[in-house]
Amino acid sequence: MIPAFSPFLAVRYLLTRPIVALGIVGVAFSVWAMLVVDAVFTGFVGDIRDDVQRSTAGLLVTDLPHETSYEQLQAAIEADPVVLHTAPRLRHYGMLQALRESRIPIASSEVDFNHMEGGFALLLGIDPAREMQVTGLATWLPRAEKVLEQKYGRPILNPQTILQEPDPERLSLMKVPDATEWTQRERNGLPHPPTPENFRSEWPGILLSYRRLPILPMRVGEPLDLLSAGFQPAGQGEPTVRTTKVALAFAGYFATGHRLFDETTAILPIETLRAQLGQHISDPGSIDIVTDIAIRPHDGLSKDELRAGQLRIQAAVQKLLPPTSKPCSVLDWEQQNEVFLNAVAHEHSMMQFVLFVVMLVAAFVIYATLHMMVVQKWKDIGILAAIGGSPRGIGLVFLAGGLVIGTLGAIFGTGFGLLSVHYLNDVNDYLAREFQVELFPKSLFDLPRIPCRLETSWAIEVALGAIFLALLVAFVPARKASRMNPVKALSYE
Amino acid sequence: MTPPVLAASGITKNYRLGKQSIPVLRGVDLAVQQGEILALLGASGAGKSTLLHVLGLLDQPTTGEILFDGEPVQNLPVRERARLRHSHTGFVFQFYHLIPELTALQNVMLAGMMTKSVLQYWAIRKQARREATEILEQVGLADRLKHRPSELSGGERQRVAIARALLARPRVILADEPTGNLDSTTADGVVDLMFRIQKERNLAFVLVTHDEDLAQRADRIVRMKDGVVLSSAAVR
Ligand SMILES: Nc1ncnc2c1ncn2[C@@H]1O[C@H](COP(=O)(O)OP(=O)(O)OP(=O)(O)O)[C@@H](O)[C@H]1O
Ligand SMILES: [Mg+2]
Repeated sequence: MIPAFSPFLAVRYLLTRPIVALGIVGVAFSVWAMLVVDAVFTGFVGDIRDDVQRSTAGLLVTDLPHETSYEQLQAAIEADPVVLHTAPRLRHYGMLQALRESRIPIASSEVDFNHMEGGFALLLGIDPAREMQVTGLATWLPRAEKVLEQKYGRPILNPQTILQEPDPERLSLMKVPDATEWTQRERNGLPHPPTPENFRSEWPGILLSYRRLPILPMRVGEPLDLLSAGFQPAGQGEPTVRTTKVALAFAGYFATGHRLFDETTAILPIETLRAQLGQHISDPGSIDIVTDIAIRPHDGLSKDELRAGQLRIQAAVQKLLPPTSKPCSVLDWEQQNEVFLNAVAHEHSMMQFVLFVVMLVAAFVIYATLHMMVVQKWKDIGILAAIGGSPRGIGLVFLAGGLVIGTLGAIFGTGFGLLSVHYLNDVNDYLAREFQVELFPKSLFDLPRIPCRLETSWAIEVALGAIFLALLVAFVPARKASRMNPVKALSYE
Repeated sequence: MTPPVLAASGITKNYRLGKQSIPVLRGVDLAVQQGEILALLGASGAGKSTLLHVLGLLDQPTTGEILFDGEPVQNLPVRERARLRHSHTGFVFQFYHLIPELTALQNVMLAGMMTKSVLQYWAIRKQARREATEILEQVGLADRLKHRPSELSGGERQRVAIARALLARPRVILADEPTGNLDSTTADGVVDLMFRIQKERNLAFVLVTHDEDLAQRADRIVRMKDGVVLSSAAVR
């Protein structure tokens, strides 16, 4: 039972104390911050996860020993019921150099890695036809167009035909149209027949991240040198390093949206990369080496079904590998990006913790307010006891005070939070337009809108949490009040 | 014979000051009958206020018994004692002890909220307000309902305190130097008022005072010294 005088007096006490507003504002602010900052953060995290997932195969067989061939494993993997398609992948690294005036011969000691246009790249060798079945490769090119248009305000067209090539031979090498390569040969003073008729393009294509555009602006078909290095296979004694060079034609920009992937990766035909590593398709005894095999699982699999599939595939692959080889791994998309996703999740919880500290500060203000109130109201506590107030009822006066402050703060904070989240983009646009102030520099993230996801359950949790916290801190002064000796309280001066 | 409405037997009260135990009351016996005015006289420090607090269950005696209508009450649970403090006795203090944030009317109404839950009180709120107003009218403050204590004179404040003590219709009024802080004219008014209501309601009245003249208007005078009752004599 809550005696009537407790809330009655609590409200009268609060109304005559302006400092109470500070507690309410504090709670409201912390609730607001928790909702808005977290909504934006959750939005960003959600977008980042979407981007990462877009750049990643559903499953990836990796940690394979050297000289593993695709042929050797393909049938076993595709026999598993969770597998829809597979695609071979070969990872390596190299340097990109545009063939322009500054071009330096590869054999020259003047090759200066620091000033090479285009710079370092993680090379991802793919079979385009198979890769398109497994990942969103086909969507990465139009996406880059969209992002670049947003960034530069004018369309920067990709040669969409690269991946729509009907000739499987040309598709597998991602060749640009014949006339395009001829034009570029002519422009760059490279060997070319006098007329474009009957010219067949020779350079394999390479896809670069849209993020390389500022340092490496390329025309479609423009030649690039790819320099890479590897150890000479089967040498005697000290291993020798062999550098290789291959001419490639720029075939377009891609954008998965996963920044880490986009910034580092260049995509080229797997056959080209194999040849660079000494496994030319026409060499006798060459194998179709892979470092990884990407898998597209069937849609609509449950997490457990996928997990079971991973285990089966791992076992099946392992059986086919040389008995001395280390265990290979079969990773789902989250495991493939585990470090990155964990970092993002960790940052999210760190931020929630910081916001929680803001709420603790607000709670402390409530505590200080109520504690001060108890001290100021010493005598009233004695009066209440004298006219028949029970200790519990007297404590409830102050607990009710905390409840009122917490509840009002939670209501205002949630209200403003919901409004802020709803109008966040409008406010940001308005500030940018009228005052050239950008709260969230959208260009920094290449995002059309500030991502914002407020989950109802989170809003409820935060509001109830704030009220609970207010009650919790009110409990201490309330207990102090209820334990007061009334005679001492009455004689307090 | 009906038992006294309020009685104390063998009351002792020691205060602890560090290791020392200071006896303030040393075996007080007292009984107040329904409708009786008892004046408690004694030098400063005799223990009058302490006795009054013990009688009103505001303070616990070290030993001894408090009886309301012949029933021992000092060992009842805290809540039960609070309830009795509300319904059986009403306190009036020298320094009024009103709550400064509340108006005169609210101060009186507050007394009615002590033992009722929020819902119970909500159901009778109109009636409760009317009763509080009526009592304030009885003490002559019909036009001071909305005044806060700081906007009232000393005499008016004490009338509010009296109205508050009366609201729950207690059978005993415990007044600790109720006129000690008032000039003699105002004090006379307050005393007349208290005695009039005492008569009307047939209340038992314990009045602590230093004023011999005032004590002479009581039915009985109890003199205290150093924590013991020296004498208890009917007036005239
Ligand atoms: N909390 C306390 N701790 C220690 N001693 C106390 C305490 N309260 C009261 N006393 C002592 O008890 C004695 C009696 O106090 P009490 O207030 O009852 O006297 P009184 O008769 O009401 O005096 P006065 O006429 O001045 O009001 C005093 O000597 C006082 O010092
Ligand atoms: Mg006294």
